[in-house]
Amino acid sequence: MQLLSGSFIILWMISFALYYLVPQKIRWYVLLAAGIVFYAAGTGGVPTALFVTALTTCGCGLFLRNSFEKQREALAACDSKEQKKQIKEKFAGKRKRMQIIYFIINLGLLVFYKYTIAALPYFQKVPGFSTGFMERIVMPLGISFYTLTAMGYVIDVGRENCEAEGNFLKILLFLSYFPAVTQGPFNRYAPMKEQFRQTHEFDYGRMLRGIQRFVWGAFKKLVIADRIGIFVDRVFESDAASVPGSILACAVVFYMIQLYADFSGYIDMAMGVSESFGIVLPENFKRPYFSRSVAEFWRRWHITLGTWFKDYVMFSFVMSGTGRKLGKTFKKKWNGMGRHAVPIIGTMFVWFLTGAWHGRTAGYMLWGLYYGVIMSVSLVLEPYYPLWKKKFHVGAGKGYAFFCMARTWFIVFIADILIRSESLAQAGAVFRAVFTRLEPTALLSKTLTSFGLSKYEFLLLFLALLIWLAVSVFEEKGKDVRACLAARPVLLRWSCYYGIVLLLLLTGIYGGQYDTAAFMYQSF
Amino acid sequence: MEEKVLEILEEHCEEALDYDGDSMMEDGIIDSFAVIQVVSDLEEVFDIEIDAKYVIEENFCNKEAIIELVRKLLEE
Repeated sequence: MQLLSGSFIILWMISFALYYLVPQKIRWYVLLAAGIVFYAAGTGGVPTALFVTALTTCGCGLFLRNSFEKQREALAACDSKEQKKQIKEKFAGKRKRMQIIYFIINLGLLVFYKYTIAALPYFQKVPGFSTGFMERIVMPLGISFYTLTAMGYVIDVGRENCEAEGNFLKILLFLSYFPAVTQGPFNRYAPMKEQFRQTHEFDYGRMLRGIQRFVWGAFKKLVIADRIGIFVDRVFESDAASVPGSILACAVVFYMIQLYADFSGYIDMAMGVSESFGIVLPENFKRPYFSRSVAEFWRRWHITLGTWFKDYVMFSFVMSGTGRKLGKTFKKKWNGMGRHAVPIIGTMFVWFLTGAWHGRTAGYMLWGLYYGVIMSVSLVLEPYYPLWKKKFHVGAGKGYAFFCMARTWFIVFIADILIRSESLAQAGAVFRAVFTRLEPTALLSKTLTSFGLSKYEFLLLFLALLIWLAVSVFEEKGKDVRACLAARPVLLRWSCYYGIVLLLLLTGIYGGQYDTAAFMYQSF
Repeated sequence: MEEKVLEILEEHCEEALDYDGDSMMEDGIIDSFAVIQVVSDLEEVFDIEIDAKYVIEENFCNKEAIIELVRKLLEE
């Protein structure tokens, strides 16, 4: 079941009505039931893998809670400092072992599903190897998302930053919360639990705001992302050696926009649905293409994934026993520069994992490595930036700000060639074409319109992008577009609402049965 | 103690000294690298151990929160 489908709208409407009709105490059951229906419809069966993750997550959380309680009791009954240290170490060891078992089970499930399916074509080529069992494996919906969400909860409980939940169904609701289960954003348990518990009375204004955000997300997805997708797919289906470099460069730039429109569109829809229930999800995008550095770009793009890796991988590694030991060794060895060594190792590791999490191809591994190197280099060079800016008299003007943004776009452009190309060979051909035979006049010739989009379609796309840019500039100035619209005269306000809906209905890219294309991040 | 914390902050993230909001990490005032360097120096200067569980937005939301964290760890 897609977020943009008739069946989802019906599910939303029914659960919305039931949610406000039943007593507050049992409202979360409505959300849980909606989640299970959404999930079961999406996978076409019993969500076994999800249940296993929920069960092990709940069990591990309770084990950690009991361990902390027993530790406190043991410490209270003990006076010796040495003994107290031993008690702490004993319980910490047990908790660590349990968490390792938990991670092996759940990461094992993730790797099994993600990589078994990816490895199928290779196994099919092995003579005499029966792949029947592998062909029946269906990738559980949103497994990459809910596995990390669940692991974050267990780490938080293990750090005593979150209280363990004793009710299995509440953990299941947390993991299967239907607006976010397939593509995030990644939620944290403490704020979600609090919101599931709070009383949310029916609020017309909130419902309207939720619908507005949903429609805005649908606009980005149907009018922009899916339209661009036609052009990008056609270009990348062609032999890169026979396509002018400028057309390929244009396709890559379009792909950058497509990915952003598609994913942020989904997030807008998910947040809109959730808002209608009075539950606010964490923002996942803050206009990343306004970033002046790659580090800033990744603070604004897929924010909840970035903070997940930062909190649970980067900081865990750097502040672990191994990280500290390495830090001391490198500091002694290389003095000033040595302090960067552990953060660099952590960064490279995080980006390797980010690449592996996103995709299963060599392109994604390279993509991760590429960002890891860029982040590490900028970490080492950062202290010199003020000196260079002073020397070359740059840093304050709008021109320099634009240069920084353009530099970020270029870095992302290179990265996206790696992940959009079907293979490394194709990526190589695209690089060659873009940098050695650009042929910019092709952009003004009929070649441009020979990849599925007519002149009219390009104009429409341009108009939609202008609307999106205007909204983004407005938001970048710290303004809330929906609040500003709500304060305008009724005629103007509703003209804008109807305008967007009409544009969406008349110019959105729909399939034969009004089925939209799948969301891009769903496959990650 | 406060002065030493501010000195460390000044070395790795000067902007943090003038910041008067309450979400320094989210607002991009202090990035993860700067956090790591600040933590490393705080541990060295005050002879404390800052576990990963303390490196959360709440404890690094502004300079006052960092000072409070150090005070808490020194008392432990």
